[in-house]
Amino acid sequence: MSSKQPLWLQAVHRLERAVGEPIEKAVRTDTYFDVVTKATRATAQARRTVVGTSTRVLHLLNLPADSDVRRMREQLARMERRLNQLSDDVSELDGSPPRTRSRTRP
Amino acid sequence: MPPTLNPLDLVSRVNRDVERSLLRARNGVRYMRGSLRADVGATPKEVVWKRGKAELWRYRNGTVRHGPPVLIVHSLVSRSYILDLRPGNSLVEYMTGAGLDVFMLDWGVPDELDADNDLERYVDWYLPRAVAAVQREAGSDEVTLMGYCLGGVLGALYAAGHEAAPVRNLVLMATPVNYDAMGAMVALLREGRLDPDELFDDTGNVPADALYSGFYMQAPTVEVAQKATLLENLWNDEFVESFQAMAQWSRDHVPFPGAVFRQLVEDLIRKNVLMTGSMRLGDRRVDLANARGNVLNAMAERDNVVPPPAVEPVMELIGDPARREELRLPGGHVTFGTGRSAVKHTMPGLTGWIIDHSDEET
Repeated sequence: MSSKQPLWLQAVHRLERAVGEPIEKAVRTDTYFDVVTKATRATAQARRTVVGTSTRVLHLLNLPADSDVRRMREQLARMERRLNQLSDDVSELDGSPPRTRSRTRP
Repeated sequence: MPPTLNPLDLVSRVNRDVERSLLRARNGVRYMRGSLRADVGATPKEVVWKRGKAELWRYRNGTVRHGPPVLIVHSLVSRSYILDLRPGNSLVEYMTGAGLDVFMLDWGVPDELDADNDLERYVDWYLPRAVAAVQREAGSDEVTLMGYCLGGVLGALYAAGHEAAPVRNLVLMATPVNYDAMGAMVALLREGRLDPDELFDDTGNVPADALYSGFYMQAPTVEVAQKATLLENLWNDEFVESFQAMAQWSRDHVPFPGAVFRQLVEDLIRKNVLMTGSMRLGDRRVDLANARGNVLNAMAERDNVVPPPAVEPVMELIGDPARREELRLPGGHVTFGTGRSAVKHTMPGLTGWIIDHSDEET
């Protein structure tokens, strides 16, 4: 297969492996996982600090912050989940499961 | 002595190269413009049942010659069209073409409404209803349950946790049970590293981007080689379409529902509970050896997402020991859906086993 490939493509594949193999080894080490863990936590902490500050500023101006909208969305989602459950329970008690039939594409 | 070059050969080679260059330019423009969308999930199907985001599809592709019907339970982390990627390169198309009645349980794209979905919700709520819908649609007393990746874990827990589960056959494709052998895929989630809640977004789910990054970092430079291969084959419409389909799928992850992700990390990854042979689900303990039906444990030899050592213990844990069989396949994690190796080995292997354990329909 590779003998049918042009020389430039073989060279790219060789170069990719030469660079890629050490990187793949590196991203499987404990050091890498520890760094990613710390980086993820640091990013989250930084985000919390920024969001906290902007929330305080917005609340001082009597404006809703992102966290308020998020709480509302969570409450709405909880309510919708409950409604869906009730609707499913009623359908099953009726013995007529909600059923659909349509052509579909992904 | 070097071979002599026939002038006619030379002309035909020049013609071919000019033609390919023109096709490369045309496909290159289409590719860059994004107008070259692959036709994925093309096997004709209809939605026969739907609850929440979950949909049950029934494929229509020829006469059904074998029963019971096959219900494919897809994983929670990727899109199900990997099993029906392209015409001529689709497990679903192959199975329906062989006379099997194939259904797919697709979980859709979770949002904040699904953040509370836990294993019990999938195993004890969705699956029994989907199986009943398959029985109703196909007029069958039993099903062949086929789970891919985490879908296999859901299927095995369902087959083991429900005494009346009408499972004739349980086909597990790349189904991880030994999470200590999962390597880099789960290393970030081990004790002392990231907690599940640290990965959740505002919807309470793990965002699709985080999952994509996890897979991408397994081989971060491979994309360069793939793009170079694409450039060389850009003249070939068939190659470009296959490349597009695969590239589309590998980036097309779905958010992972928060509650089930928490269970996955705390019970399956950190405690490795499946290796004990049982798992607490709701208010009961599910013993994996109680799984109904003939069990086929299919694994891919070069799978670096769910490596064989993570899958092999199925042969000691799930179902009746006398009814367990193993199928080792060449290829990687996606060999269950697509690729040259899939067409040559996976599709005939899986389909043949199912037909051998099915009845002729009259």
